[in-house]
Amino acid sequence: MNSISLSARLLFRQSRSGSLWMLIAGLMIATAAMSAVSLFTDRVGRALEMQAGETLAADLVVAGRAALPAEFRTLASENGLRTTSMITLNSVLFSDQNSSLFDVKAVETGYPLRGTLMTTQNPGAEAEAARDTPAPGTAWIEPRGLRALDMQVGQSVFMGEHELIVERLLTYEPDRGGGPFMLSPRLLVNLEDLQTSGLLGPGTRAQSRLLVAGDEAAVATFARQIEPLLESRQRIVTATEADNQTGAALEQARRFLAVAALTAVILAAVAVLLSAMRFTESQRDLIAILKAFGASSGEIMRALTLLLLWLVLIAILMGAVLGWLGQHLIGQILSGQMTLPLPGPRLSVMLGTGVFTLLLATGFALPPLMALRRVPPMRILNRSLDTKTGIGTLGWLLPIAAALAIPVIELNDYRLALLMLGGSAVLALSLALAAWLAMIVTRRLASRTRGAWRFGLAGLSRRQGASIVQITALGLGLMSLLLLMIVRGELIGQWQASLPENTPDHFVVNLQPAQAPAFSAGLENLGAQNMQIRPMANANLIEISGERPPEGAFTGQVNVSWIDALPPANEVIEGEFWHSGASGEISLSERWAERVGVQLGDEMTFDAGGQQFSATVTSIRRVEWNSFNVNFFILLTPEAGEQLPHQFIASFYRPDTAAAELDQLARQYPNASVLDVGALIERVFDIITQVSRAAQVVFAFTLVAGLIVLLAALEATRDQRRVESALIRTLGAGNRTVQGGLLIEYSIMATIAATLAILGAAAIGWLLAEQLFNFDYRPGLSLIVSGFAASVVLVVGAGWLGNRSVLKTPPVRILRAG
Amino acid sequence: MDSAPAVSIQQATARSRAEQPEILSAKQVGFAVDAPGGRLTILNDISLKLNAGQTLAIVGASGSGKTTLLGLLAGLETPTTGQVELAGTNLNQMDENQRAALRRAQVGFVFQSFHLLPSLTALENVMLALEIARIEPARERALTALDQVGLSHRLKHYPRQLSGGEQQRVAIARAFAGNPKILFADEPTGNLDRTTGIAIADLLFTLNEEHGTALVLVTHDLKLAERCERVVTMEDGHLTGPGTLISTSDSA
Repeated sequence: MNSISLSARLLFRQSRSGSLWMLIAGLMIATAAMSAVSLFTDRVGRALEMQAGETLAADLVVAGRAALPAEFRTLASENGLRTTSMITLNSVLFSDQNSSLFDVKAVETGYPLRGTLMTTQNPGAEAEAARDTPAPGTAWIEPRGLRALDMQVGQSVFMGEHELIVERLLTYEPDRGGGPFMLSPRLLVNLEDLQTSGLLGPGTRAQSRLLVAGDEAAVATFARQIEPLLESRQRIVTATEADNQTGAALEQARRFLAVAALTAVILAAVAVLLSAMRFTESQRDLIAILKAFGASSGEIMRALTLLLLWLVLIAILMGAVLGWLGQHLIGQILSGQMTLPLPGPRLSVMLGTGVFTLLLATGFALPPLMALRRVPPMRILNRSLDTKTGIGTLGWLLPIAAALAIPVIELNDYRLALLMLGGSAVLALSLALAAWLAMIVTRRLASRTRGAWRFGLAGLSRRQGASIVQITALGLGLMSLLLLMIVRGELIGQWQASLPENTPDHFVVNLQPAQAPAFSAGLENLGAQNMQIRPMANANLIEISGERPPEGAFTGQVNVSWIDALPPANEVIEGEFWHSGASGEISLSERWAERVGVQLGDEMTFDAGGQQFSATVTSIRRVEWNSFNVNFFILLTPEAGEQLPHQFIASFYRPDTAAAELDQLARQYPNASVLDVGALIERVFDIITQVSRAAQVVFAFTLVAGLIVLLAALEATRDQRRVESALIRTLGAGNRTVQGGLLIEYSIMATIAATLAILGAAAIGWLLAEQLFNFDYRPGLSLIVSGFAASVVLVVGAGWLGNRSVLKTPPVRILRAG
Repeated sequence: MDSAPAVSIQQATARSRAEQPEILSAKQVGFAVDAPGGRLTILNDISLKLNAGQTLAIVGASGSGKTTLLGLLAGLETPTTGQVELAGTNLNQMDENQRAALRRAQVGFVFQSFHLLPSLTALENVMLALEIARIEPARERALTALDQVGLSHRLKHYPRQLSGGEQQRVAIARAFAGNPKILFADEPTGNLDRTTGIAIADLLFTLNEEHGTALVLVTHDLKLAERCERVVTMEDGHLTGPGTLISTSDSA
């Protein structure tokens, strides 16, 4: 009989009796959990990509100073991509009353390729999505542009040789970009009008952009093709560079989803390991019988390998179906709460998960299976002659490493993968080592104790190999669950708190010192919250500790401000921030100090409008640049700054109802610019809320998968334990001895697993917070105490429940059943 | 040069078998394993011969090495010293796969603990052995074999659904289905009650008679041993001379 038919017969015949279902179930749970989590996180990830695309109004942009060659557009079209052209230009525009510098954007029909424009007819009125772009001869203007030109909707604005009728107010453009400090107001016009306006002559500072959108793969191909064709002043712009705040939120979002996906990976690996080990152990007798009846080793190995392959394939298929349903279920649970339009699940992610399970099962099951080749046929007569052989080479690490590489490549975040998978590997080794040491100690103790203690301690060390694997599996499972708790409770909480309800959504620049008090009072009247008004001056760095700054150091103009106490969203990481009344001191942002090469104690000399001043660096700050607060690289003690020519800059949160009042207030200060970043904040807030919700549900799902894996780990030695318990009951031991023994055994396993799991979760959680999320997280006593208690209760409780039937079944029945 | 304890032919009917070709011979066989306390000799200087169709019982106390000897004779293991010839082939010169091929073609087994695969039905257990030996048509031959042991009504039952006697009958059907030249039985009635044990032994000897199969039987049961043509006794890894029941002399 050949190996294929032998394996098929073994499969079909054994499958009816259910003995192979343990392996299938383990692999299936692994595949289902991982594919559900990966599929769903991939969907959310791609939805985020699309959001990111909005910050560009496209999937990819080619930008250049001069007009872009037509062949770029042809190339994009050949790849099946949608395109549109755009030119931006700073130009002074005129109304009948006034003139002001504008940021003109000229677009074609089809713009934007991603996201939508929002417009309204009157200031303060509800904005609506625009389906078109300005027709030739018309323009859409940003509300503050109306104030700058002192005009109304319906009046004309003069751009070069054209007179354009202002039709609508532009309240939101997806690719507004530039953060809050794009100072000139926007005028959106038709591309044709700008091209014929006479403003694009030689020496123009206009920027041309080709916007491209379409299928992911086609965009990537186009990017590769266009790269070698670009000239020095042309470049490709991707979403991540487009906008800091949104980009940062998207990055955090991706990391949270990746944590969930990697947790599922760790749990899946544990489940596969456990199933593979049980499978190989159960095949020892089969192999001895087959050998005794004359099957050759090669035949048996080929048949078992094929059998394993069939089982894995069946498990993967079933797991994939379950995973597909699982991700659908997660989507359903979130359907009412997600406004993010989710793209459909991708088959490639499913394939990746399938290959992952296959490689992992191969890595875990095949080496011990291959070692079974050495099972002597004499085992059939005398089991003691079957001295177990090791797994031989370390070659098995290869498929495991290959398997783990799949999610790492898919998630494309190597630091995160290194922290989580590397951390788990270190933890697994520590668990195995601790378990091994515990076995040595319990074996010694067992001989000195009596009754339940002896039964419990001896039970643990008798199954040394199984106990070590069990403790390692339990520890890894518990660590995953605890890590999810930390990320869910602490890190997501901090993320949500990073953008509270009334985050400043308006900025005011160019406010003169004399105007500041009255303007501030005006803002307070209209109910503005979280207001900060800060002085600002431009200065040039001329000396560091008496020497000229080194070549290449940042010596251009920089904004400086002064204050008498540490502002919000700042943290001192070196030195000490001054107290009120201090003088001659300077505080630098970490990033700027590094870039310029300045340290605590250095004396810096600046020139501002011909005035020179010096101050000593007394503190270095870490600044949350994405906090929507007014922040500065350089802060001075007030006495130095007040001498300098300066203006004021303000940030505040405007209540929804105060739009018209703010417009009125702003019109009283025509020199100042009021910038509305509400739409940007809304976008970041949306990402945080939606991804937090998605992550919560995905975490809950992973948690359930983790519990199943833990139960499977406990189940692994149950049969043997049942027989032993029945045996000592037959010998006359009371239920108390059996119960006590089980309790002692499970408690020891739980203590080792829980202790190391908590250490592992706390360490990995802390590293993730510090290294990746940039959050503050110190593992607290509550985690240690509650995590330990919960872990021990879970393990001992589940083990206890699983073995309850032992005490209820007459021992003779268990022994007879074998 | 047979230095083993002498053995004699018991029954007149078996006399003709003495003229049959030799199916099994052991020459000065020894077996030792490495144990925690040093090297442990399990078998020492064992020689015996068996002709086709003959029956031989190996008796002895627990731990005397009976089962190990059976394993060596059946080619499940190779001796550390001496040599075993099975069906005219020197087992010492064969690797595990060659010995497997030999077992497939010539050898049948019956074990004390039956060793049926719990996940296969009675019919499948018998078929599997035939399939491994590449004997066709496996299904028909398995059906015949099970019919011969009186189990044609239990074909689709799993081992756990069968009594001990029934399980052993399945094992006997499995052993005889491939028509082996020699059958090795390790305490075939050891796990059965007396009545069932006798029925199983009857079956074993009847089939042995019908198929002309040589039989090597390891047992504690002297009554069972008595039914064999020859009996040898093991003690501390040696064949210690005549079996306790039957006076033997070297007639081989």
